Amino acid sequence: MDWLFLFEVAIAGLGAGGLYALAAVGFVVVYKATRVVNMAIGEILMLGAFVFFGFASGLGWPPWAAVPAALVVGGLFGGVVERTMIRPMLGESPIAVFMITVGLGSLLVGLVELVWSPEPRRLPAFLPDAPIFLPTPWGEAYVSPKTAYASAAALVLITGFMLAFRYWRGGVALRATATDRGAAYTVGINVPLVFATAWIAGSVAAFGAGVLLGAIGGISSTMGVFGLSVLVVVIVGGLDSLLGALVAGLLIGLLEALAGTFLGGEYKLLVTFGLLVVVLLIRPYGLFGTREIERL
Amino acid sequence: MPTSRHHPGGSAGRAPAPVALVALALLVAGPARAADEIVLGASVPITGVFAFAGVGIHAGIGDYVGLVNQDGGIDGRPVRYVAEDTAYKVDASVAAFNRITSQYEVQLYYGDSTAFSKTMAPELARRGTILMGGDSFASELNDPERFPYHFLSGPDYTEMFGILLRYIADQSPGAKVAFVHSDTEFGRDPIARGTEIAEELGLSVPITIVTAPGSVDVTTEVLRLRRVRPDYTIFHGYVLAPIPEFITQARQMRLRTEFMGTFWSMDNAIVQTMGDAADGFLGVMPYRYYYDESADAPMLAKIREIRPEYQSTAYMQGFVTAMLMIEATRRALATGEPLTGASLKAGLNSIRDFDTGGLIGVPISITGNSVPVGRIYRADAQAGRMVPASDWIVLE
Repeated sequence: MDWLFLFEVAIAGLGAGGLYALAAVGFVVVYKATRVVNMAIGEILMLGAFVFFGFASGLGWPPWAAVPAALVVGGLFGGVVERTMIRPMLGESPIAVFMITVGLGSLLVGLVELVWSPEPRRLPAFLPDAPIFLPTPWGEAYVSPKTAYASAAALVLITGFMLAFRYWRGGVALRATATDRGAAYTVGINVPLVFATAWIAGSVAAFGAGVLLGAIGGISSTMGVFGLSVLVVVIVGGLDSLLGALVAGLLIGLLEALAGTFLGGEYKLLVTFGLLVVVLLIRPYGLFGTREIERL
Repeated sequence: MPTSRHHPGGSAGRAPAPVALVALALLVAGPARAADEIVLGASVPITGVFAFAGVGIHAGIGDYVGLVNQDGGIDGRPVRYVAEDTAYKVDASVAAFNRITSQYEVQLYYGDSTAFSKTMAPELARRGTILMGGDSFASELNDPERFPYHFLSGPDYTEMFGILLRYIADQSPGAKVAFVHSDTEFGRDPIARGTEIAEELGLSVPITIVTAPGSVDVTTEVLRLRRVRPDYTIFHGYVLAPIPEFITQARQMRLRTEFMGTFWSMDNAIVQTMGDAADGFLGVMPYRYYYDESADAPMLAKIREIRPEYQSTAYMQGFVTAMLMIEATRRALATGEPLTGASLKAGLNSIRDFDTGGLIGVPISITGNSVPVGRIYRADAQAGRMVPASDWIVLE
């Protein structure tokens, strides 16, 4: 067994998993607070990458200004979507809200193609690109710099979200709303504000994931397909668990890397969806999700 | 007279009665047309995943038809170009085909995907009146028996591999070649036959790497490539991602391998977006690039006159396809036979040593369904252009 090779593959898988986890957080935050299954997560992520592209390439802003600017736009976007599309649907059937997010995804693809044209593009380089060689007992292991920095940034953001949910008043309010909306109202929590906050935070996470993902793989109006893998991650992790998003993200990243290496790239999705089926059979609410039974 | 339309009837329900009546009268009367016009219908992906190419294709076909009409059409018969957007969806393509063929007597049709071409094959056989070209270079379509009314306006994907492999065998006999392809019908197309061709040419293919659709991080794939250390690596089934990241990481791992691509990853604007990774990127291209000022390419000068800004290789593909369709029609008319799918195809197959105005650098002959000609180009990062790396290679 070539341990160095295995180590490198594992690190690469965990790196890719960090990105899954960040996009998954964008999904989980929204679901946790509002119970909305956001099918547009992939497209919101794509929009984030293009907004960054607009600032960094179109307006020529340096990355240290363009990244925060993109995240601010992400927050505004989340707020506007919540106010104009989601809040009016409060109390409507979950399927209707679900379809709204499907429509939103389609709308965003059209918008991006109108504004930036459908051509695939590269983001201006802003992550350090000197290769990293980690010393290991078996020799120097190659780590892709972009993936390493991007997943480190993702981990920092996820940790920030987790701490906020635990200790920040707004985060606690969000958890309270998630647990029991009626009770949250009665203790004076401003539930609509919590909803808006969740959409803002979720969109910021998705925009951040889009920028990092775009920095690695380039951007195009079709990069929203990444959302499909993200859905698998959140279902495996548990739709409403941040820790679940993190663990499942890393797990699926690692599994895909191992499957791609030892079975071939054509087996990656098979293994991922195989895991999804197994998890659904054993724990339908995901590895860390709230156990909840809904009768339809 | 290029005409492009959108889906009709979108807001008819809200139109005031007189307007609706006039619209109805127009629909019944059908579009105004000359009795002897030749109609080139097209399902083009102006939106959707293939829109980056569809926009150029649409412009290329429209421009060539415009030039033909300026010169008085085909022996005095005007050509009408009718296109509809398909968003690169087969059902929308078929619907567009049905709408266009029900409103016009269509002789030529541009189809927008391998799946669409395959879907329409029985219908074309049933009608027997249409010659179909398109944006697909699928090897499967390069079979005159199964697809008697189709043609490809360049080499099929297997022939593209043949051209690349022949170049490699010339440059470094016995070289190790890796294939990297996407896990799609497009990606898998030339792989099995390409491996055989490599072996026939004395090359070896020690590894074939498959990437899942939409995969972003390719570190594990590059790590696998590093274990084999191939002399050449051929990408197929991609437009841009994940090629640049693949090349960047391979160079960081100090892997010495020449990277190559096939038609759809060879547009100059797209290659140049790869930045530093682009330098030295090789690939096969059946057409000359927009900026090529060779003396034997007067048609390119004409294109630059019509469109002063850069036009993509997809534009050239649309332009050449329209050119071959119209040449086939001209030859079919010359025989005096009625225009049918069979006479149009016979017209196409009578093309020998045809000059495309320099868009393809050598005179071409079409004996089957494809034009097995191409040239290797190399990305020159300093010049910001693809520059020729070989002569024109014609597969026998």
